[in-house]
This record gives sequence, C-alpha cells and structure tokens, in this order.
Amino acid sequence: MNETGLIRDDEVFLRMNLVERIQHFLLIFSMGTLMLTGLPLIFTELKIFKSIFAFEKAFYFRGILHRVAAVVLIVNIVWHVLTTVFTKRGRSNFKELLPKVRDVKDAWNLFWHNVGLTRFLYKKGVGKAFFDKHPALLFEKEPEFGRYNFIEKFEYWAVAWGSFVMILSGFFMWKVELSLKLFPLWVHDIFVIVHGYEAMLAFLAVIIWHMYNVHLNPEVFPMSKIWLNGKITGHELRTLHPLEYRKIGEGRKRRLEEANAAQPK
Amino acid sequence: MRNGGHGRFPLAALALGLMFIAPLLRASDDDCLACHSDRQLKSAQGRALFVDQERFKTSIHGQAGIGCVDCHADLMKVKDFPHAEKLKPVACVSCHDAEETEIKASIHGKPQEGPNPIIVFCKDCHGTHDIRGKEDSESSVYSLNLPDTCESCHLQRVRTQRGSELIRQYNLSVHFRALEKAGLSLSATCVTCHGGHGVRAVKDSESRVSRKNIIRTCGRCHVGIEKNYLDGVHGKDYIKGSADVPVCIDCHSEHDIVSPENLGSRVYGTRVAAVCSRCHDDERLARQYGFLTSRLKSYSASYHGTASKFGEIRVANCASCHGFHDIRVSSDPKSSINPTNMSKTCGKCHLGASSNFAKGKVHVISEKTESRGSYVAKVIYMSIIGGMVSIFLIFIAADLYRRKRKRRSP
Repeated sequence: MNETGLIRDDEVFLRMNLVERIQHFLLIFSMGTLMLTGLPLIFTELKIFKSIFAFEKAFYFRGILHRVAAVVLIVNIVWHVLTTVFTKRGRSNFKELLPKVRDVKDAWNLFWHNVGLTRFLYKKGVGKAFFDKHPALLFEKEPEFGRYNFIEKFEYWAVAWGSFVMILSGFFMWKVELSLKLFPLWVHDIFVIVHGYEAMLAFLAVIIWHMYNVHLNPEVFPMSKIWLNGKITGHELRTLHPLEYRKIGEGRKRRLEEANAAQPK
Repeated sequence: MRNGGHGRFPLAALALGLMFIAPLLRASDDDCLACHSDRQLKSAQGRALFVDQERFKTSIHGQAGIGCVDCHADLMKVKDFPHAEKLKPVACVSCHDAEETEIKASIHGKPQEGPNPIIVFCKDCHGTHDIRGKEDSESSVYSLNLPDTCESCHLQRVRTQRGSELIRQYNLSVHFRALEKAGLSLSATCVTCHGGHGVRAVKDSESRVSRKNIIRTCGRCHVGIEKNYLDGVHGKDYIKGSADVPVCIDCHSEHDIVSPENLGSRVYGTRVAAVCSRCHDDERLARQYGFLTSRLKSYSASYHGTASKFGEIRVANCASCHGFHDIRVSSDPKSSINPTNMSKTCGKCHLGASSNFAKGKVHVISEKTESRGSYVAKVIYMSIIGGMVSIFLIFIAADLYRRKRKRRSP
C-alpha cells in the first residue's frame, strides 16, 4: 500500500485537459451571461440590474443575449457529451463521476468528522462503552476520496440536471406558440415558474457551494488554479484525492514489477 | 350676431329711414378720424387713442359698414369736437344680445372671488377696432390663435384653483402640437372643450368638461371612440350615472393629453397597468362591482409585466388583451378575452396561437386556491432551495470549524 516514493510531491499531473478547461470556461461564460440577463427578471427591484440595463432597447438586447448564451450552453453540452462518449479519457472520467453509495457515506462521515461531537462526548466520558463498541461513530479518520469527491460529483450532476430543466423549460418559453400547441396554459405557467426557481437554485449553488469549494476554502484560497492550467501536484493529489493517488502509485508499481520481471537477470 | 331687424315692416322701414337720415344727424367716421388717425394722440392718462383706419376697414364691423358712433353710441349726437374724454364703455349687447346671455351665465360673466375681482369684457378676447370673424385667420379667436388669447390671461393674471401649470400643460398636448406644428385648424383648442361664451367652471355640472358632459364633448371630434366607449363595460355604467367608472380624462389626463405612442402619455404601453390598477386594485370598488383585485400584482409577476417594467413596449399591457375604449367582461361573446376569442387576441402577437392559450388562468397568482400547478411547482422548488442552501451552509460551517480547531492544536 505504501506509495514507495513512486510519486514525488512536486510531480505535476493533468487533472483537466485543454478540452475540459475550454468546456468549463464556456460553461462559466454561458451561465454567467444567462444569469446576468435572466435574474433581473426575477429581481426586478434591484438597482444594479436597472443600471446595467439602462439604455434604450436594453430589454430587447437582453433577450437576444440570453438566447445566444443558451445556444452556447447547449453546444457546449453537446460537445461535452461527445467527448465523454467518444474518448477514452471521457469514458473513464464519466465512470469516476457516477454516484455511489460510498459518496453518501463520505458526506456523512466528513460532516461528523468535522463537527467532532462524538469525539468530544467520548473525551468527556459520555457513552464510553457504546463508542468503544462502535469506534466508527467517533469519525476519527477523514474520509478518503477518489478522483472525484462527493462534492465534485454533486456539482457535476447538479449542472447536468439543472441544464436539462433549464433547456427544456427555456425552449418552450422561447417557442411559446409551440408550447401552447402542445400543452395547456397552466402547464406553460409551470415552465415559467420552474425556469425561474431552477435559475435561483443554480445561482445559489454556484455562489455558495462552488465558490466556497474552489475559492474560499482555506485549502485552496484564494483560488484553485486547476481550471486555468489543469495541473495538480502529487502533494495535492495525496491530500485531496488519496484513492486516486494510490491507484496511480499502484499502477506504476505494477508496471515497474512487470518491467523487472521481463528483464533478464 | 347682429340683431338689427325684427322682420316686421314698421321697424324695417324705420331702420331704412334711419340709414338715410342718420348720416345727416350724427358724427361721421371722418369727423372722428380727423383726430384719431393721429398716431401720437394720447389721453391725459397717456393711453393711446390712435385708431388704425386700415385695420378697422377690413374688420368684420368695418366691412359691415358700421361706423364709430354705432358702438360709441354716446357720441352719436355730439357735434362739438373734441368730445369729452370720458366715454361710456361700448355695449356690444345692443347687437349681440344672445352672446351676452350666454356670457352672463358663464364663469366669465360672474363676479370673481378674491381681492381683485377680474371682470372679463368682450374686448379682452375679441379686441376692439380690429375685431374679426372666428374663421378669419387674423382673428384673436381663430383656432390657431385662440390658445394665445386665452393664455394671455390664464397664464398671467388669472390663477385657477389648480394653478397655471395646469394651463401650461396644454402646450405639451397632442392637440396643441396639431395646431402649432401641423397647422391643423380643426384640432381642439380651449374653446373646443370648455366652450366659448358659455365657458363654465369645471366643477359646474353644466360645464362641457364636467363628468356628466365630458364624453359628449370629446365625442364631438372623437366620434368613433365615443361610440366604442358607450358600448363597453365602463360606458354602460357611465350611462347609468355611475360615479366610479373612468371617463376620458381619467386615463388620458386633461390638458397634457398626448398620443399613447408618446413616452409621456399616461396610457403609454409601459404605464397602462398603473392607470388601470388605480381602480382595479381598489378593494372597495372590487367588492362593489365584483371584480378581482391583485391584477397588477399578477400582471407584474408575469413575463409581460416584468418586461414592461424594463421599458419593453412590445409586450402585452392591460389594453393589449382587454381592449381599451370598449372593454367588455369576459362572459360577453364580443369580449376580446372571451374564451372563444382568446386565440385571436393572443394571436395578435403570438402568431398561430392555439386554443390552448385559453386553458388556464392568465393572471397567475400561484396561490393554493388558484393555479394549483404553479403553486405546487413553486412550493417544491422553495423547499429544494431552502433545503439545499441550508445543507451547503451547514457543511461549510462544519468545514471551517474543523479547520479552525486544527490550526489551534495541530
């Protein structure tokens, strides 16, 4: 199990390749534009939006911009699906991203490990016999993550689900005549409601959850640079994604042994 | 109007006789002009006494052959000139008695309140020696000149109850612009709406602009609109004497009335909702007439209303769907919002709108009792958002807490 020094701490690994970084950038661009041009419709009273959209024809321009960004998002998603299906790296990433029961456990364990309530009680002598019998409930050890931890998986699938909802409802809001050929008005009203609330959910998820995890988290503050250069060091891999780190280490070890075995003595 | 002959023979004969005899007895115009054609002639008080002979000859009185002493009647028999300085005021009533009656009943004919009561004489509007018919483009009461004539008092000396600003607003109106810019002599002037000799205070129920008469007054020019209005739900109650329904000026304002395409109009696309909701969000009126309030709220929450708030005028406002002058209740088969007409009404903007446009409430409030689907979607999303954000924040708090402790005791 020991990594046996096969991975140096300053060794550089590619976590996001160029295509993935471009896709991530397009996602930032399209989502940012969509929010900037869409959220004002929900928060009509906020002055900041009114000052941005103060010029004549601004509202018309806003609508055009919103649709352009939506098309960029859709194209980006199609591209992402294609690279996921048709490249080896894409398929392997996708497999790593599939949610597992383990992720729920990880989240649970990490939370109670962070809170440390049971360890505190144990130290104070409360329920000592119970905790001796069930040492796992002390959450002594931080859960170990693979290539994608539960936070990253959650974000990935949240974007996938959110995009699906937004594109579907947005499409019918764009083509309202078509929507009302297919559905009664009250169904269309649900599209409108869902589009607005899903937008707020996405906005809050990005602002609170994603921004904390990639920017404000003291581990990476002021910012994780992976989205810019795609690089992660051996040290970061070891601390943040220990399971992947070990997997790489074992792979190297195996290849080394095979090479040794093949080498005639 | 001249009121000389009564059509009866003896009087006519007398008049005819006078026409021949009179010149022999009375002072001729030439006698008067011997002095009054002098441009420098002034009274002891310094008032100019010059009479422009040319202007008088082309005036309506000059053309009719009326001489100086016909109006300045106290000089009729005077033979010694120059005459006494103080003359009696000219009594137009001696010929124009119908107008005099009208004026006596009007606000101009009544003594005004206040410390300096203003008395309005015929000459204040019509001038003196240079009086012309109202069809004469040089007349002070010709439509293109009339606003200046009225405003010479109503912007200066006279303070109406609502201030001179109200009067000045007329100069911003589409009616004034039509006069001024388009030279459209048929456009509404002060007199068109308020009446000429018979002008009355607005609060006087006999005034042409009173609530009772305003529809008729505007309808004198806007004939089609008057008809539409009286056919609509507001007009029907107006005829019954309701004091609650809006009349023309309630939506269009009064003096500063401008085209609905004009940004300043009270019924400009983005401002219509505010005008309608003054009554349609009123609880008392809603109870009395059995309509629903919160129309502004539900409209504002819709895409139409939101876009309207951002100044987009291509989206629907109240009038786009409900019509304006002939608004009808939805149960009326002629109503634009009758379910059978909805696809046509919505189709004005949404080309090829289907009958599904009518299946559901247009004014969605997303309350439990109404629009169930939207309400459920809203509640589900509110719970998801609330739950998610709470989980995010709890996780972040726990993470920061652990890191802080770790730093303290590594």
